Amino acid sequence: MSELAPAPSRPTSFIAYGVVALAIAFELTVVWFMLHPQVPPDYRAYYIDRTTTCLNQPVSGDYELGTTVSFRSDGVESAMPLRVCGWEGPAGDGTHAVGTSSRLRFAVPTTEAGPLYLSLELVAVSREGHPSQRMLIEANGIELGTATALAGVPLEVDLEIPAEAIAAGAGAVDVTLHFPDAISMSPSDSDTRRRSIKLLSARLGATTGRP
Amino acid sequence: MDKLGNIVSPGTILAVITEQTQRRAPTRDAVLLLIPAAFAVVGLLVRYLAYANTVGDVTVAHFVDGLCRWDCGWYVRLSEEGYDPFPVPSMINAGNWAFFPLYPMLIGALRAVTGLPTMLAATTASIVLSIAATRIAWPLLGKDLRAYILFSAFLLAGPFAIYFTTFYTEVLFLTLTICVFTALQRRAYLAAGIFAALVSGTRIVGVFIVLAIVLQAWLDHRQRGGTLAGFVPSILKRPDILVAIFVAPLGLFAYMAYLHWHIGDALAFSHVQRAWGRATGNPLVYLWNALTNFPRDSWWPTVSQQLGAAWLVGMAMTIVMAARRQFPAALFCIICLTLPLCAGLASMLRFTVGLGPITVTAMTLLSRSSALFYVGLGIVLIGGYFGTVGWLTGVLTLV
Repeated sequence: MSELAPAPSRPTSFIAYGVVALAIAFELTVVWFMLHPQVPPDYRAYYIDRTTTCLNQPVSGDYELGTTVSFRSDGVESAMPLRVCGWEGPAGDGTHAVGTSSRLRFAVPTTEAGPLYLSLELVAVSREGHPSQRMLIEANGIELGTATALAGVPLEVDLEIPAEAIAAGAGAVDVTLHFPDAISMSPSDSDTRRRSIKLLSARLGATTGRP
Repeated sequence: MDKLGNIVSPGTILAVITEQTQRRAPTRDAVLLLIPAAFAVVGLLVRYLAYANTVGDVTVAHFVDGLCRWDCGWYVRLSEEGYDPFPVPSMINAGNWAFFPLYPMLIGALRAVTGLPTMLAATTASIVLSIAATRIAWPLLGKDLRAYILFSAFLLAGPFAIYFTTFYTEVLFLTLTICVFTALQRRAYLAAGIFAALVSGTRIVGVFIVLAIVLQAWLDHRQRGGTLAGFVPSILKRPDILVAIFVAPLGLFAYMAYLHWHIGDALAFSHVQRAWGRATGNPLVYLWNALTNFPRDSWWPTVSQQLGAAWLVGMAMTIVMAARRQFPAALFCIICLTLPLCAGLASMLRFTVGLGPITVTAMTLLSRSSALFYVGLGIVLIGGYFGTVGWLTGVLTLV
């Protein structure tokens, strides 16, 4: 066993105590920083308060009204500007919604008064014990309706977005899908990894786009 | 063969080297440096061979870059571009704040000074650090030559040498951890504190090494007949120990201060874990689930079973440390093994072999007999080839 080193001399001790005082002061300052984060609301909601699984990204929402955007592998470039948060992929046959909500952004002309019509083609994920997925759909914070997708069965959802919702967006329509039945695929997955649907395509236009 | 033409056995060579290491210091130091240096060369050759046999493109530049996989890519970008702002420019939730700064900073500085490409600088630095770690660990290995050779081979040419010879923080973490425990062995508290500060800036669990310093001070206090009530007053009279305790977490606190300045959240390194999608839970449940996740179509253990086994081996080595009364190192290893387990077993193999005291203990056990030593050395060197092949072919246990 090694012997304990001798205690330092008095001047060295004074320096050492000074270093300790400085270190404590610095560490307390950082603890104060730690307790008082100065972050944007989106950051706080996702990372700190954990009140959402959907961390808004500053996408442009570039979109030409009336076009159908594929969320399969063939439509990555046109779909990317629409994906605000809560999407992963595409994985061959669609883009996975991840977490308990997902958001899309469609840029619309500021002169557009509405109403507009939203068409989504999607399919619920297949998992034993989870035959379907419910969805609550909003546009610019205004509830549009609910839908239920059966596992493995493609579903087309058509909803009218009223003029008041268009006006609330100031040049963009943010469509939020809430998934109350989203599934944890593994016990070690957090809520940010929950699965619910795969989005196949999306369209926003002045008409429903269907014959 | 020797000068007379007789066949020289490996045991004879070992005896000669042992004799050299027991001679005067310069000869011993040279031998102790040559051993890891030789394994560094062997390791490079073995990994290159594995790379050439697994990947078609076999130029040296591609070899160095080709071994950079998984988190290595994050470290390369971090050392070249620094930390992400918020929102992250690539519009992902996982900013690179979870990766601690010391090693990427070191490589960034080395690249700036030498002009070398990042991976070449990192590979060179990692190999030098591994050689240094081996040399510094000599007293921790009980100055046992067999343990020393095994430790050298394990770090520089073994199955997990990728972690210690490419661009992962494990190599710096292991080196600095060994520095701390070597300093503590000599009761050089101030040096231990300074090295601990660097450890706390290298990996998220590094800050807990301060508890090892406190425990060592407590054990010394008890050895002198001190009481519980007298511990704090006795520490207050020892400025070198006080400095060590309060300087040790400075690496972490400095990083936190930077994160507050950079994105406004000093705990971003922790908060960003949410984006990686791991839920915290009962570590024992995670361990049980992993160990009981049996393969369906084969006899080979599943990835989660292999990771669970790595954790168990780590804990077994920790128990050996405790039995050897190396309580500070055992405490540090328990914390470093258990905390990550609260978020699952991902990367557990890497975390386990990157813990210096665990690897040192394992090598001292393998060096207890000649037979064990030679078998161990053979497995380590053969494992160096297959470990690299596994790394290149995406064996998830190694990630």
